[in-house]
Amino acid sequence: MEALNQMSESLSGWGLWIALVGACLGTYFCRAIGVFLSQSINQESEIFRWLAAVTYAMVAALTIRLIVMPLGLMATVPLWVRILICALAIGVMVSNPAKRLVPALLTGTLLMVGYGVIR
Amino acid sequence: MSSSEQPYIDPSEIPLSEAAVQRFKNPRDAFWSGIRDAAGAPAAVLFAGMVGFGAMGKTNGFDVWFTTSTSFFMFALPGQVVLLEMAITGSSALAIALAVTLTSTRFVTMTVTLFPQFHQSNRNRSLYASVHLLAMTAWAISMREFQAIEARHRLSYFVGLGLLCWLISVPATILGFYLAGMVPPAVTLGLVFINPLFFLLTFTEVKPWINRIALFLGCIFGPIFFIVDRDTSLLTSGLVAGTIAYYIDRKFLRKKAGVLG
Repeated sequence: MEALNQMSESLSGWGLWIALVGACLGTYFCRAIGVFLSQSINQESEIFRWLAAVTYAMVAALTIRLIVMPLGLMATVPLWVRILICALAIGVMVSNPAKRLVPALLTGTLLMVGYGVIR
Repeated sequence: MSSSEQPYIDPSEIPLSEAAVQRFKNPRDAFWSGIRDAAGAPAAVLFAGMVGFGAMGKTNGFDVWFTTSTSFFMFALPGQVVLLEMAITGSSALAIALAVTLTSTRFVTMTVTLFPQFHQSNRNRSLYASVHLLAMTAWAISMREFQAIEARHRLSYFVGLGLLCWLISVPATILGFYLAGMVPPAVTLGLVFINPLFFLLTFTEVKPWINRIALFLGCIFGPIFFIVDRDTSLLTSGLVAGTIAYYIDRKFLRKKAGVLG
């Protein structure tokens, strides 16, 4: 409820929708710039390799942040529980990477639900 | 362009094995194959992620139209989460738009690495519409599958893949919005966890060493830059970790035959 009150003080009605429009335009702008740049980039393999590395690093940074430094509900789970569940899911995954994505996902998700039930 | 000194060439020029050349008969075949590939784990994961997001919108006091609009018009879960969190904590509309745009900068590099792999005849203005379907799920699958798909069928495959992911995200958000409060917190916990877990699991499928190093360094620099400055941390950690990985690859790995693959 406190969060709700804060929101109504600062951002409500039109302000919220203006933020949404700005966020949507910004997100589409990034996609469109990518299309524009990709027209001229196909032959430059060095830039291609560098950009792939940057993208993978960015995605890794996002993922590790969601796991190690989450906001909201996930922050109530101890760090070691989050890491242990990730390690177990990766263990299922690497035992046979070709077929085990869904079993690995289920393992991790159900363990997290299980933790939520018993805590 | 494919000179012997350049180990990495335009991906659309990579010669394909016999099986890959004959994988699809026509664009429609490729399109439906994309739909089928999306309809398994990726759609389930995205669906769960969007249900979690819908639940987050409901529990934080947003209305169903606002919550669902973000899924339809942004279709970028991390950016959507940032939008909600900053709106809750009372940031200005301008700050929110800037922060969300920064989290979306990954789309620039995703597009630039994926779209040159389309056949030249497909690379026209219609890509400005197709690019809205690009998100991390479709990108990760396409990067893996494109090696085994003929260049002229890659766009159809990608559109099938992305379209299904985009279309399911809207009903999933609405479902999550109305489910919130009905399911126990333990279930919500599982839903929130499924997105980062899926991203983490796909990392184990990354083969080139340069990208593995980039992933590893991204995991190290991500939290460090997050502490330094939250809003720009994705961009800075990506640039720093990616550039170091590229440098390591260029200076050391390429000289060793076999490591390069």
